[in-house]
This record gives sequence, C-alpha cells and structure tokens, in this order.
Amino acid sequence: MGNANREEFLDFLAQKAKRPRHQLHEHPFQPLNDLPETTLSGKSQDELLEIAQKNSEAVKVDFKKVTTENLGKLLDEYIAAKKIKNLILPTTDKWNEFNLDKWQKEQAATYWQPQAAREVNIKTAQSADGAVGFADYLLAESGTITVATTAGQGRAFNFLPTHYLSIIKKSDIVPRTRQAMDKYDSDIKNGVLSTSNINFITGPSNSGDIEMVLVVGVHGPLDMTYVVVEDL
Amino acid sequence: MGIATSTKPFVERVEEAKKDKFMQASVAKAQDAQWDKREAARKELGNWEQWRDLGEQIRQHVIKYLPDYLEEFADNVEKKGGHVFFAKTDQEATEYIKDLAVKKAVKKVVKSKSMVSTEIDLDKELMKLPGVSVMETDLAEFILQEDNWDEPTHIVFPTLHKNRDQIQKVFEKLGYTGSNEPEKMAKFARKYLREYFLQADMGVTGCNFAIADSGMINLVTNEGNADLTMAIPKTQVVVMGMERIVPSLKEAEVLDNMLSRSAVGQKLTSYCSFSGKRTDDESDGPDDFHVVIIDNGRSNALGTQFESVLQCIRCGSCLNVCPVYRHIGGKGYGSIYPGPIGAVLSPVLDGYEEFGDLPYASSLCAACTETCPVRIPLHELLIEHRHVMMDKLHTDHSLTNTIMKTIGVGTGSPILFKSAMFGANTASKVVSHHDHDSVAGFLYETGRIGKLHKPVPKFARGWTDIRDLPQPAKSHENFRHWFKKHKQEQAAKGGK
Repeated sequence: MGNANREEFLDFLAQKAKRPRHQLHEHPFQPLNDLPETTLSGKSQDELLEIAQKNSEAVKVDFKKVTTENLGKLLDEYIAAKKIKNLILPTTDKWNEFNLDKWQKEQAATYWQPQAAREVNIKTAQSADGAVGFADYLLAESGTITVATTAGQGRAFNFLPTHYLSIIKKSDIVPRTRQAMDKYDSDIKNGVLSTSNINFITGPSNSGDIEMVLVVGVHGPLDMTYVVVEDL
Repeated sequence: MGIATSTKPFVERVEEAKKDKFMQASVAKAQDAQWDKREAARKELGNWEQWRDLGEQIRQHVIKYLPDYLEEFADNVEKKGGHVFFAKTDQEATEYIKDLAVKKAVKKVVKSKSMVSTEIDLDKELMKLPGVSVMETDLAEFILQEDNWDEPTHIVFPTLHKNRDQIQKVFEKLGYTGSNEPEKMAKFARKYLREYFLQADMGVTGCNFAIADSGMINLVTNEGNADLTMAIPKTQVVVMGMERIVPSLKEAEVLDNMLSRSAVGQKLTSYCSFSGKRTDDESDGPDDFHVVIIDNGRSNALGTQFESVLQCIRCGSCLNVCPVYRHIGGKGYGSIYPGPIGAVLSPVLDGYEEFGDLPYASSLCAACTETCPVRIPLHELLIEHRHVMMDKLHTDHSLTNTIMKTIGVGTGSPILFKSAMFGANTASKVVSHHDHDSVAGFLYETGRIGKLHKPVPKFARGWTDIRDLPQPAKSHENFRHWFKKHKQEQAAKGGK
C-alpha cells in the first residue's frame, strides 16, 4: 500500500522549511556532551549491584541475589510462594549457562515454542500464572531489566503471565540505559542480534489514572521478581 | 472535530471550568505532587540544565533535517517488510487506515494511548466501518471511551477531572459490581480488556519516537497495554506526528530518560519498548506493520518563528507548572492539546480563527519555558502568536493607535501625568469595590474594578470581563509617593 506520495510529502517539507533535502550526510548528529555515557560511570560491579537493588526495590520489585548453586532452590521457593500452577518457560540454551538444565527438565512447565503458531504461544502465555525468563541487562540507575525478543522468548511472554521472574547475571548489570543501548545498537548493526523488539521493563505494570492513586498490575504482570546470579 | 474539544466560545469554557471545583482541586493536587516528583527525579539525575541542552540539540537537529530523517526511517521500515504512508491531512490518514481495516477484514481494534490518533479522530472514523469495534486500552482512555467518549483533560493524565465515584458508575454500566477502590476497579478493567486483547486483529499505537536508522518505533508507557497492542494483533498501525523522530536508539534513550522524569517523575516508565514488524522466526508481533506519518498542520511551523514547537516530546510538564491551567484545566482550552504547549501548538495546527484566544490564556510567567526539557521558549512563542495576530492578520490598529497616542501625550507631559495620577483614584471610585474580608480584598488593598457594563466602551469591558483591575491608589499612597518617602527614610538612616 501507498508510498507514492513520499517524495511529494518530503519535498513539501523542505520547501516549507526553506532548506534543501539530502544535507544530513554532511551534518550527522554529534552530541554536545557525553552525559549519557558518564552519568553513573566508573562503578564496580559490586557498587552497581547495590545501586540496582536500591532502585529496583523503589519500583516495587522483589530483588533477590543468589549463586548458581542455589538458583534452582530459589526458583522452587518462588513457584511455591506464588502458588504458580501453570508455569511458562522460554526455549533457550541459557539454561545450561545458568546451570539450570536439570531444574528445567524437572518442571511440569509449558514453553514458548520457536516453531509454534502465534495463537499457540499467546494462548500458552495467557494461561500461565507465572513466567521465569532471562534478561539481557539490568540497569542500575533505574532498576530496569532489558529483554530482546527471540524466537524462544516472545513479546507476550513478558506481558501476559500473572507473575514474572527474570534471571540476570551480575556481570550484566550496567550503569544505565546508554550502556545497554550501545550494546543492542552495535549487536543489531553487526548482525549479532536479530530481533524486532526490545523491552526495557522497570518493575510491575502500574497506573495512576484513577485519582492519581498508584495501582500496580494493570495490563502486564502483577508483580516482578529480579534474581541476580552473583557468580556469573 | 479534530483537535477542538468544544464548540463553545473561550470565555464560556472558562466560566464552566471555574465552576468545576473538583477539577480545580484535582489539577492543583496533581500539579503539586508532580512538582515534587519531577524536581526530585531531575535533581537525582544531576546536571539537568546540560541534559536539557542535549535534549534541545537532538530535537533541533532532527527538525532541521526532518525530510532526510523521515526518508531514512521509511527506507528502514520498508527494508524489514513494513509499510509507510505519508499523510498530509487527518482525512488522508484515516482513509488509509480504514482502507487497511477493510482489506484485512478487521473486526476488533485495540488502541494504546495516542494523542495524534485523537487529533485525527481515528476511533470514530474506524467505528463508521460496519462490524468494526474499537477499544481504548489505556486505563484512562478506556474510562473516557466508556463515559460516552468524554474528552481528555491532560495529555499525560487524561482523566484528572474524574473522581472514583464517577468512574465506578462508568464501570457499573459494564457489569462491575465492586467498590470504588482504584485497585478493584483497575483489576476489573484488566480482566475486561484482556479478553478484548485476545480477540483483536488490529492494533493501533502512537509513537513517542521513530528510530531513523533502524525503522523501529519507541513507545513509553506504564501499564503495558501498548506492548500487548504490539504483540497480539496480526496487523499494527502506528500513527505518528511527522516530527516524532530521532537519529538512532541512543537519542531515543536520552529522550526517554528526559520524558519519564519530566512527565511523571520516574527514572524510566515501567515499559520503554523499541519495536517493529516481527522477524520470520518470531511468533508474535505484527505480520503486517504500517506507519502513518502525519503532517496535519505541523508543516505550518517549519521555517517560521514557531518551528521550535515541533521539538515537543509531549511530557506535559508545562501543563503541570502553569497557573492558568491550574484554574481552567484542560477543558478550558477547548483543544486536545491544552496548557502552554497547546496554546502554542493549537493555533499552528488549526489556525487563529479556531484557537486565537489561547495565546492570551497565559500570564507569561515563563514557568513553562523554565520546565521544558527540550527548551521550547513557550512564553515567547505565545507573545509571537499575539504579534502575528495583531500584525499579519491586519487587525485594525486605529483604536489601539489612538489610545497609545493619548497615553503618550498624557505620560509625556508632567502636568497631565500628575493630574491623571491625582484624579485616578477618585474617578475610578464609581466602578470600584472594596472587599476587606476576602482574598480579593487582600489582593486589591485599595479596591478592585470588577466586571464593567455598558455604557463603558467595549475595549475597557473586554479587560474586566476576564479579570479584575486594581483601583488606582490614592495619590499620597501610590508607588511614586512611597518610593520618595522610602528613599528619604533610607537617607535618614545613612543608607543609600
């Protein structure tokens, strides 16, 4: 459908602005300061973990720290505490990376399946009252996890289940949005990452639309748990 | 109706707004709460003025090279199999989207909050199609829709004018039987809307920023409805104002940080998403991804003194500091874009005939300019609008010229000036009031001149229709007299 009007539209804008088109290549954007990079820079991973915990808890995240050895036990406790009956898990080789192969195989869980139809995966995620997934980065400044959509962990995986737990390596805690974005930007441009969607998620879904009273859990998960694996 | 929310004249809208005490209390509460949150978030970030410099630079740069960036963005959307439609007018945009809905045999449309879709009246246009229903899924927009498409009052908090009892009544019509507690009503909305989401075949979103070098769009929300809108339906339509573009993910990230802090005092909102057409190996996300880039009057600002209004990132912080907005709320402005930004933008989009009153709905205190994260000189643009209306529209200057000439003669002659100062208090006694026991009495110690009636000439009545005029002080109590006395007292004390 219609793109025939593109040139006419863009020419009209150039004419109104009294500036010729196609000048950008000679004047690429050069930021006038480096605040995005330098803000909160120079911290150790221990310091970033501390900042991340404080800021995550401020946005009502249940923040947990654990070693790989105890990760499976922590997940069992989480599933029991939330009374999760229908667990959804991603299809990914990260289970091995986090030493969770055995734990994963023991679960009577459903999976976001890479080859399944849209309707199948969405129905599975909608039926799930709990999700355990993986995040790419944790942003210390804002208590934000970032997740790029993959074939094995789709978009709705992060939004439809009632309770949501995200596992993250301590070494993947970065100061703020810029460092995560730098990595995504270069991975996409270098062909390392193929994704149509990146979610930056900061705590549970919320709204202040009724008398500005903060209500948690409007459309997305009702609660969020971040689990930082300290020895990875 | 487009961006207009009322057919009533400005003065009538203001009178109605003044009577709405709940709205006024809500706006005041929201402004005060947001002030604390916003300023704390900016302070914690640090170097806020330098962040503003960067935000302004990004926005000015993309506006300067707007056609080039739009071209780059469109190329990248199309490379990934998406479609881009450039719409000069609201009608072109809605026709395109309606045609698409017909072609796709769409039955259920879910929408996430989008000012530009309200601007083009998209909901009502889509509902003209037989068998098509539309659901606003942002909690506030859902409440407005179910309350007979009531108009929003704030660009970030659209239902600021409604209390929990009113919302409970709206929900009761949908089968809700619970209390008026916000948590319970939100849970009801969650369940109600989730069912609709799962059946939706078209999703419509706005666009906080389009990413030129990747063809992705960036949405900033708190509820998660925008992400469900981008995940579940097979077809997604993005409606974006043509100026909402950034060079890359990095500049989007900078502006998301500034937007979240400025709009709601959060470091980041719950969901900041960067999204496009699904890749072949992903199972959800849109199979069919359409971006409709809309001019609809924005180009009126290009190459003019109003170009900087296109820098706006719709954070609403100028509304949250505005003393006029505090009193008349969103509905007083009669535009879906209220507050200082609306008073600048609405006449640019729809002209002075419709919105010529709005640039005067300002005390020119410049709080809006001070808070704007991308440094739009809002109060200066309001003055510019007044200049244009006075000059370029060839307003009849003869009366103003005569008045100014008379004032010139009066103030240029010491005898006439002193006589006027001497007689002003006595002369104005006929029309002035004293309210010693009220706030008005405190503000107007000498007395105040309220609404004037005929046979007072219209140019004088026009002023007092809107606001009181202080009665001139008695000559021995006026400023010149006080200043002279003050200097004498200082000199007596040995001061300067």
